[in-house]
Amino acid sequence: MARNKFDIDENLESPFDIRHFKRALVYIKQQKRPMIIALVLSVLSAGIGLTAPLIMQHVVDVTIPEKEVGALFGWSALMLLTIVVSVILAAIRGRIMTSVGQDIIFEIRSDLFKHLQALPFKYYDDRPQGKIMIRVVNYVNSVSDVLSNGIINFIMEILNLVFIAVFMFAVDYRLALVILAGLPVFAAFLLLIKNRQRRSWQSVSNKSSNLNAYMQESISGIGVTQIFTREDRNEGIFTRLATNFRTEWIKAIHYNAMIPFTVDNLATIVTTMIYVVGLLVLSPAEVTFGVILAMSSYAARFWQPILNLSNLYNGFINAVAYLERIFETLDEPVTIKDAPGAKELPPVQGRVTFDHVTFGYDAGNHVLENLSFDVKPGESIALVGPTGAGKTTVVNLISRFYDVTGGRILVDGHNISEATLQSLRSQMGIMLQDSFIFSGTIMDNIRYGRLDATEDEIIAAAKTVRADDFIREFENGYMTEVNERGSKLSQGQRQLISFARTLLADPRILILDEATSSIDAKTERLLQQGMNELLKGRTSFIIAHRLSTVRGCDRIMYVSNKGIAESGSHDELIAKRGLYYKLYTAQKMEAV
Amino acid sequence: MFELKWLWKNLEGNRARYILALCLSVIGSSLMIVNPFLTQRIVDNFIVGEDAMQNLANERELLILLCLGMVGFTLLRSGLAYLTMMQYEHASQNMLYNVRIFLYNKIQGQDKEYFDRNRTGDLMTRMTGDLDMVRHTIAWIVKTIIESLTIFAVAVGYFFYIDAVLTWWLLILAPPIFITSFFFARRVRPMYVSLRERLSQLNSAAQENIAANRVIKAFAREDYEIEKFHERNANYQKANKAAALVWLDYFPYLETFAQAFSVILMIAGGLFVMEDRITFGEYAAFSALIWAISNPMRSIGMIINDIQRFFASLAKIVEVYYATPRIANKRLAETKRRYEGSIRFDHVTFKYDSVSVLHDVSFTVHPGETVAIMGPTGAGKTTIVNLIPRFYDVTSGHVFIDGVDVRKLDLDELRSNIGIATQDVLLFSDTIDGNVAFGDPELSEEDTKRYAKLAAADDFIRKMPEGYDTIIGERGVGLSGGQKQRLALSRAMAVQRPILILDDTTSAVDLETEEHIQNSLNKLDTGCTKIIIAQRVSTTAKADRILILDGGRVIEEGTHAELLARRGYYYEVFMLQNEGLERQVTAGGKE
Repeated sequence: MARNKFDIDENLESPFDIRHFKRALVYIKQQKRPMIIALVLSVLSAGIGLTAPLIMQHVVDVTIPEKEVGALFGWSALMLLTIVVSVILAAIRGRIMTSVGQDIIFEIRSDLFKHLQALPFKYYDDRPQGKIMIRVVNYVNSVSDVLSNGIINFIMEILNLVFIAVFMFAVDYRLALVILAGLPVFAAFLLLIKNRQRRSWQSVSNKSSNLNAYMQESISGIGVTQIFTREDRNEGIFTRLATNFRTEWIKAIHYNAMIPFTVDNLATIVTTMIYVVGLLVLSPAEVTFGVILAMSSYAARFWQPILNLSNLYNGFINAVAYLERIFETLDEPVTIKDAPGAKELPPVQGRVTFDHVTFGYDAGNHVLENLSFDVKPGESIALVGPTGAGKTTVVNLISRFYDVTGGRILVDGHNISEATLQSLRSQMGIMLQDSFIFSGTIMDNIRYGRLDATEDEIIAAAKTVRADDFIREFENGYMTEVNERGSKLSQGQRQLISFARTLLADPRILILDEATSSIDAKTERLLQQGMNELLKGRTSFIIAHRLSTVRGCDRIMYVSNKGIAESGSHDELIAKRGLYYKLYTAQKMEAV
Repeated sequence: MFELKWLWKNLEGNRARYILALCLSVIGSSLMIVNPFLTQRIVDNFIVGEDAMQNLANERELLILLCLGMVGFTLLRSGLAYLTMMQYEHASQNMLYNVRIFLYNKIQGQDKEYFDRNRTGDLMTRMTGDLDMVRHTIAWIVKTIIESLTIFAVAVGYFFYIDAVLTWWLLILAPPIFITSFFFARRVRPMYVSLRERLSQLNSAAQENIAANRVIKAFAREDYEIEKFHERNANYQKANKAAALVWLDYFPYLETFAQAFSVILMIAGGLFVMEDRITFGEYAAFSALIWAISNPMRSIGMIINDIQRFFASLAKIVEVYYATPRIANKRLAETKRRYEGSIRFDHVTFKYDSVSVLHDVSFTVHPGETVAIMGPTGAGKTTIVNLIPRFYDVTSGHVFIDGVDVRKLDLDELRSNIGIATQDVLLFSDTIDGNVAFGDPELSEEDTKRYAKLAAADDFIRKMPEGYDTIIGERGVGLSGGQKQRLALSRAMAVQRPILILDDTTSAVDLETEEHIQNSLNKLDTGCTKIIIAQRVSTTAKADRILILDGGRVIEEGTHAELLARRGYYYEVFMLQNEGLERQVTAGGKE
């Protein structure tokens, strides 16, 4: 599927069927016991509720006409008792089902989040963040009631329906058939609108997802918008998205509103048909007035649960539009995962071997072809070359962010695709181009590299990368609160913090991807001194454009043309007067 | 009440429709009470009446007519119900739409400081869950209140008409219901405030996790993240349960009171019938309509519950709704002018969170000049950039553009005169073409390509599967640092503003590409003032002037040659960067 953006609806490949609901049953099944108890309580409560009309009947027929004042109070007390008991039962059911509903969505959300953690970069790269977020939070919330109370109520209404139907047939099967005659009509109506209604709600979920994605991106890109004074234009786009949402919502809700309308009219038609058939078609000898009276009241009591069921149905159709999105995400294949029988990688020395590695992000479009090299433990490698040549790809393959298309990569002789991801990545320190700062203190941000690090260790790491000075300048020092986009930290300072984070992890293999591009030359120089010590004994891969960074490495690889064009130490490559020489001197000469 | 006023204010344009909906609600619910009377007539005339047999034989037409009447009446009533619901939906959707766009613009107009304080996930919660609660209130809660009130009022009126004393007896239950509801409301309110907060935290956790997915994988911290999220998820779950449990604490009382209407009716009504105060028929009339009193009383609890939720959400929305940025456009200019492009910092001091970032910085850039700024990490370079388009305002001193203090300029006009390629490259999930033409969506295809070429981006763009139509990920994920920078650069150049600021925009591109970019910058057809922040001497060497910033102060200023001659910071950096090259660079740059 092509990459998605804010104004592209996400098409759903699988057509709707009951399977989505069946899958939800997995979560419901975990709550089987409390749900059964709740159901039993509901049945009991409903059963007790049935005695109230009987008591009232008796009071009207016997107690009042015979003026039994004492009995009147007695019956009233009994009725109050039935009310109290059924209310208590309902309250217990309420407690159970609140818990069930919340537990179900807790589980779904947990599973969804866990699955998201396992999904590769590509998943995140391919769609706006807002679209992922709305699934984890809003969509999951939307299904809670349908999956808990909805189910119990559904069962209760069905039971109700069956009960009344049995009573109806016991009284008069012909009139019962008249009442039931409305059902096929209603079913036909539901079938008629089912697909349209469902598509409408799908569309609503799509439009709200689009709206959300754009909103989210607008917030994160606010600075750019303001500097390009794009506010009006953005408002136009947002208005368009909001209009789409409104249109789709009105369309969808219109189907929902049609359902009670239909039930209401069918119920009335059926009731009048009881009178017509009972009074005019059948002779009084065949049906007594009492029967007609009873049947007309059954008609109303039969269609009430149907109305309730159709409201549940509306909620269900609505929830399915969200459920299928949730399951779609859960079905997203985890492409980079532990191979069956993957082994823990033992503590490594840091030898890295590329053995005829071929790789492409898309099939047939290779970024690297037949690449082989061997890096000894402790060696530092600089990867240089034109932007887009594949330097980042090389390091991404070592940490197995992507799987090779051909060949293999070995760490200490172990094929990395046969090792567990956790054991591989936990021995590597990777510092990416984007230095992400989590919301929290600076201390926490550095600690992310090794969760059990002591404060002293954290400060030591910060000192090594020359971050200690500026951190101490903040009023709260290491306890200063920072966040993802906040302006407290300059870009260079962010890089230093994420550098400290990486060092704290104490990795055997260190990968620095443009890690120091925003750090000034002098700080970098100071940093390098601490670094040299640190690089000792660690295998490192460094991507940088700055000569001063590259020069100190044991070996420099010039990546271009799907492979390594030149390789050697700085002096060797300068002497060779090849690509590397050209890269670093051609422009200098002119500036002089 | 503030909340009601707010709703009313935002219903503007839909007030007539909303009032219509309210009226329809009143009519519709009144009809609910009228409806059973028709049935009653059929039953009286044809089934239980004394002359039922006779009527049945002679007045078949009346029966058919009554039946048709019933169907017709239901059609009318349910049609009305459909219409009412759609009116509420239209009105609430329109209001949602208006408020949503209003809030969107509000957020767009906030200054940088606002975004330093407010997390994306939290703002998103306001724009999704909280807004939906407002919609729910307008479309559903108000409807329920009106319909309950109408049914209750009609029934009580009718009851008073039949027998006032019995009605008073029934109403005895109203005070305990109101009192219980009041206590419930007081107790549940803070629960929803906290629930709302937990939801926002959950949202923020999810948002941050998604944004940080690369770092998380790099550190193999998935389990830690799951644990972190688990905590938020559990907190939210607990808060949900806690709020529901408060409701369940009060529910038994409210429900018992509501159902006890029948019991009171049975005792009081029964005694009245025995005493012949009221007839059996009157008792039956009460009995048939007792639901019209108990049902509205029953829904009070749920209504209060939803209203408290609404209050909690509205409080959060209102914070955005009425937020006024310190730096806002006062709409000073009728038409946007094009500036000459002179920039002057006059004794500028800037503090952020009481930490001094810039001290007494003064410098001047003449129209068409190129000034480079260099200095250590955290020296305040980006802050200088931020002060020019007023992302922040100076603490003291002045920033002048064309001789006018920027705070006296129209903000929109000011920003329309500045093109910036920011250090933190932020691209959008859009096509490459859309990203380059971000500042000027009407940019022709050729121009887009031209600017991409100027920024040395054309080559790699064309290698992409769909060229300029390739959609890139949010924030430009999937592109290398150098590629992102070049797109940001072409985006900034494409708007052709008189002031162009490049904040460390070429740090991740190789030197060869950088040279190409520098040549392009010199060749830009519209003359513009350039401020270039860079760490590389190769970038700064050709500038008209170079400022060295350290600790928030300008410590050196001059041309490449002058600064080299000074043997200060610049010279040191120069030496560091040329070390090891076979040929030493001796003199150079602008004299």
